[in-house]
Amino acid sequence: MGLLRIEGVSKRFGGLRAVDQCSFTVEQGSLTGLIGPNGAGKSTVFNLISGLYKPESGSIRLDGEELTGQSPDEIAARGVGRTFQTPRSFSTLSCLENLLASIPSSGEHLISSIFGTYLAEEKAATVRAEDYLDLVGLGARSDTPADELSGGELRMLEVARQLMRNPKILLLDEPTAGVTPTLQVRLAETLKELHARGLTVVVVEHNLGFLLDLVERVVVMVSGQVLTQGDPDAIRSDPEVINAYLGRRDGDAA
Amino acid sequence: MNWGQLAITVVTLVSILGVVTLVLNMQYGHAGLINFGVVAYFAAGAYTYVLLTQAPPSEASLDQYAIGLDLPAWAGLAGAAVAGLVFAAITGWPTLRLRGEYLALTTFAFAEVFHSFIVNEQRFANGTRGLVGVPRPYREELSFIDYDIALAVAALVFLIIAYVIFERIVRSPYGRALEALRDDELALVTSGKRSRRFRLEIFLFTAPFAAMAGAFYIWYTTLAIPDLFTAEVTFIVWIALVLGGEGSNRGALIGITLVILFEELIRAIPFDTIRAAQIAASLEVAALGLLLIIFLRWQPFASLTRAPKRVARSG
Repeated sequence: MGLLRIEGVSKRFGGLRAVDQCSFTVEQGSLTGLIGPNGAGKSTVFNLISGLYKPESGSIRLDGEELTGQSPDEIAARGVGRTFQTPRSFSTLSCLENLLASIPSSGEHLISSIFGTYLAEEKAATVRAEDYLDLVGLGARSDTPADELSGGELRMLEVARQLMRNPKILLLDEPTAGVTPTLQVRLAETLKELHARGLTVVVVEHNLGFLLDLVERVVVMVSGQVLTQGDPDAIRSDPEVINAYLGRRDGDAA
Repeated sequence: MNWGQLAITVVTLVSILGVVTLVLNMQYGHAGLINFGVVAYFAAGAYTYVLLTQAPPSEASLDQYAIGLDLPAWAGLAGAAVAGLVFAAITGWPTLRLRGEYLALTTFAFAEVFHSFIVNEQRFANGTRGLVGVPRPYREELSFIDYDIALAVAALVFLIIAYVIFERIVRSPYGRALEALRDDELALVTSGKRSRRFRLEIFLFTAPFAAMAGAFYIWYTTLAIPDLFTAEVTFIVWIALVLGGEGSNRGALIGITLVILFEELIRAIPFDTIRAAQIAASLEVAALGLLLIIFLRWQPFASLTRAPKRVARSG
């Protein structure tokens, strides 16, 4: 019984079948890679899971609970954490506040906010937030507004922001894009650390060198469908996967 | 020129319109809701106050108005707040799904419809002529002090209450959520929060303050006439907020003080001819525009209006 089960999910944009009868399962505690050439539908799958798109058919279940038909905020609150290809942050808030703004707080109710009955809770959350900032290497930046961070730091902030919420599953959309090699190493270490702590992670990534060294299982998508899945070594040598990325050597013109 | 009287006028107007500026700052500066119809909540409060506290309409009088309940002033003020809430619910419910400029257009349209209603519906509050000489409350109780001073103090107290409440919200996790909503709604939603709830709540919570300011404005002017409740009020408040720096309640107050001070100083200049006064009135608008450009370019109050520290540090 997998943690996340995607069964027969389809989504089309006009005449384009972005995701077509896609099915795969993500096991509890696994570190899974989702790869495929441009336009294979990887990001669309993430948007379907997180509720930003509504699938036309199929079912998406987290821990046995149906996610399709729920609003994005409900899905997020049920334990789906995600990052975006272009990192998103609360640009005027400090790194610390970015994390604090991502979890529910009793101080987010008007009466409690006016009477200040949230202070103890806020202090405890601040300690946790600082731990997560340390984990992703932003410990020294906690008071820096997000709009002063580099592209790579923004990605790390987004990861930390989602970790702060204690998600059941974390979906990372191209976490290495625009990230310096040094930070990429840091990112890989962070992900391994989270994996060791038992977090379930799915990574969409174009940087196959980075991905195949990191994950334990790979799902390959082509034209909106799952082409194959398996462990990284099998995927590395699978001729079908090589064809999907590079085009057939002997067949039609590229 | 009577400097004492000028000071009292400035304090009163800054306090009344300062509350409206604070309301706009909470809606726009913090939550990113572009409200171009602020005057509607101000006017709704003002007219509600008048209709609740006036003597019942009589056949003998030439003034027409819908109702006159002859209620005490405090009940009129409470009624104004309720009117602000109801008006915010009516206008906010359908429009708060709208984003950015669409919300701006819709709120502006609502305000214009309301203005058009009070101008054209004679039976509501005497149309264009409006109601003049609205009685000032608690005159006898306050006979020991100059009424203008009493009103200035009351308005200032009202402003301080609004400022303290709003500032508490801004410095709390609620204020943080509003700013997060303004910065990136999708990031907030994918963190599991209902952005619509924050929008609607802050809109409904702040509108009654603008409406109560409308009742204070009636006490000050004793007039409920449509000419006092035009889109100009909205623009004055917007200019004040931009001058002082949106996103800061202190900035909002600095902005409205500058605008009111500027207007009242020009008004205090004695002119010999009507022509001179007309020229001065035109120059006033031009000068205000120039002031706005200068402030946006050099931001002289930037250090005073920086965003507040919020987090309770543990270390």
